[in-house]
Amino acid sequence: MVQRYGLDIAGGAEYHCRIVAEHLARHAEVEVLTTCASDYVSWENHYPEGVEVLNGIPVRRFPVARERDLRRFAQWSRRVAGPHSDADEERWLEEEGPLSPALVEEVARRGDGYDHLIFFSYRYYTTYHGLRAAPERAVLVPTAENDGVHRLRLFAPFFRLPRAIVWNSVEEREMIQEIAPVHRMPGDVVGVGSQLPAGLDPDGFRKRRGIAGRFLLYLGRIDRNKGCDELFAFFLRYREETGSALKLLLIGKPVLPVPEHAAIVQLGFVLDQEKWDALGACEALVMPSRYESLSMVTLEAWWARRPVLANGRCEVLRGQCRRSNGGLYYAHYDEFRESLSLLEADAALRRALGENGRRYFDANYTWDIVERKYLDLLGSLA
Amino acid sequence: MSFEIKTEGVDVQAIMGAIRKRIEEKRQGLYSDAEIREIAEKSLDAVLDAHEFNPDFVKDFRAQPSRWNFSFHEQTLYESSRGAVGRALHGLRRLLQPIQKLFWNPNPMISALSRQSDLNAYYAHLLTNLAVELTKLNLELQELKNRQLALQGRVEFDSRRERTLEQMVVFREEPEKKGPDGA
Repeated sequence: MVQRYGLDIAGGAEYHCRIVAEHLARHAEVEVLTTCASDYVSWENHYPEGVEVLNGIPVRRFPVARERDLRRFAQWSRRVAGPHSDADEERWLEEEGPLSPALVEEVARRGDGYDHLIFFSYRYYTTYHGLRAAPERAVLVPTAENDGVHRLRLFAPFFRLPRAIVWNSVEEREMIQEIAPVHRMPGDVVGVGSQLPAGLDPDGFRKRRGIAGRFLLYLGRIDRNKGCDELFAFFLRYREETGSALKLLLIGKPVLPVPEHAAIVQLGFVLDQEKWDALGACEALVMPSRYESLSMVTLEAWWARRPVLANGRCEVLRGQCRRSNGGLYYAHYDEFRESLSLLEADAALRRALGENGRRYFDANYTWDIVERKYLDLLGSLA
Repeated sequence: MSFEIKTEGVDVQAIMGAIRKRIEEKRQGLYSDAEIREIAEKSLDAVLDAHEFNPDFVKDFRAQPSRWNFSFHEQTLYESSRGAVGRALHGLRRLLQPIQKLFWNPNPMISALSRQSDLNAYYAHLLTNLAVELTKLNLELQELKNRQLALQGRVEFDSRRERTLEQMVVFREEPEKKGPDGA
C-alpha cells in the first residue's frame, strides 16, 4: 500500500514501492492498494478509480476525498512545529493527506484477505490510518528522513503497531529507535535494488550530448528541498576560487531556477539508459540532499563504479559513504571545496572509491539479496 | 592538495579526518592581509561586474585614481590640452576672465566640482576598505558557523547517546521470576 502508484512516477518511496512489488511478484501474488492521485503536492485525482494492471500487478485505486490545500497545510505545519495538542497532530496528518477514507475502509474491510500488507512511507494519512486498521498483518517500510516529522507524538505509538519494519538504512533505524521502542521488533535493513543496464556507453553519451571535458553529475529533481540551491552556490564558488574547469551536469526536472552559467549544463529528463551512460561518463556523482532515507542514485553511481560527493549533514548519506568507503562528504563549503579538489585531482582515488562502491552495492543491493531479505522476513512472520 | 591519499584500502573516515585537519590548519593560520585583500577584490569584482560597468573603467578604477577621477582647481575651466595653441588659448581666456565675470560667477561651480573630486577619491578609498572589512567579517562568520555546526554535531551525538542509555535502562528485561520450588 502506497500513497501514489504509476509507471510515470519516478523516484521516491512510490518508485521504491513499485519495483519492490514487481520483484516480489516473482515469488508471490501481489496487489497494490493506492489512491487515484498522481501529483504529490495537490493529491488531485488523476488516475481512474478501480483496478488496472501495471507490469503484471493489479493496482486498486481509491479516490482522494479532498485535495491538499497548501496554505492550510502550511498553517498546520507551523502549528505542530510549536507547542501543540495531540488533536493538532491528527489534524496536521489530515492536511498532509492524501485524504482517502475509501482506501482506509478497504484495508479495514479486506485486510484479512491478504497474508501481508506492506505499507510504504509512514508520514501519510493513508499509511497511518491504513496500518492502524490492520496492524496484525502489517509490515512497515517507513522511508523516514531526518526532517523532524517522525518526532510528532502520534508516530511514537504508531511505530510499535506493525509486525515488522523494513528499514532503508542503519541510520533510519537508529533515528526511529530514538522516539519509539522498536529495538526488539522483527525487521531488517533492506533498502532497494535497481533496474541495472546491460552496459554503459560514456563515449556515446558525450557524443550524443556534445559534452566535452570533465563533469560532476547531479541526478534527480532540481529542487531546494534536495539542496540544489546550496550546490549551485558551492559549485560556482569552487570554480571561482580554484580555477577548476569542471562542469556540473544536471539531469532531472527543474523546480528551482538554475543559474545561467556556462559551467552548469541542464539536460532535463532523459531515458534510463542515457542516465546510466551519464553516470559512466562523470567524474563523480554529487548528492546535495540533506533529507534522504536511502539514495537510490547514490547506489546506482556505485554500481557504475563512480565515487560520490554527498551532503554529510544527511546522516544516511554520511553513513553509506563511511560503510562503503565509496564517497566523500561535506557539511559546509570548506569541506565541499577540499573534498571536490581531492576527487578532481586524484584519479586513483576516484577509481578506488568507485570500486569500493561497487563492492558495497554487490554485497547489499542486488535484487537477489533484497528479494531474499523480504522473503525471509515475511516468512518469519507466517 | 598538500596531502596524498593512499588508494589501497581507502578509508573514507581517515580521508575526511585529513580534510578537516587541513581546513583547521588553514583556519588557524587564518588569512594574511594580502590574502584578505585578494579575496576582497574578488568581492568587489562581483559588485562591479553585476552592474556591467565598462571593463576599461574598472581597470582604471583599480590602477590609479588620477586616471579616472578628475582633479579640479581654479584654472581648470580655462585650461586647454592643445599644446602651444592651448597655452595661448588659456592666456586669452584669462585676459577675458574679468569680462566673463560680468555675465556669470564660476566660483561656486569650481568650488563644488573641487569638492566632488575629493569626495570621489574618499568614496573609492572607503569602498575598498569596506570590502576588506566585510571580507574579514565574512570569514569570521564562516568560521563561527563551522564551529557552531561542529558543536551542534557533538550535542546531537550526546543527546542520542543519552536517550539510548535511558532506553537501555527502561527496556532491559526483568529477570524471570522463579517459582516457590525454584523451577
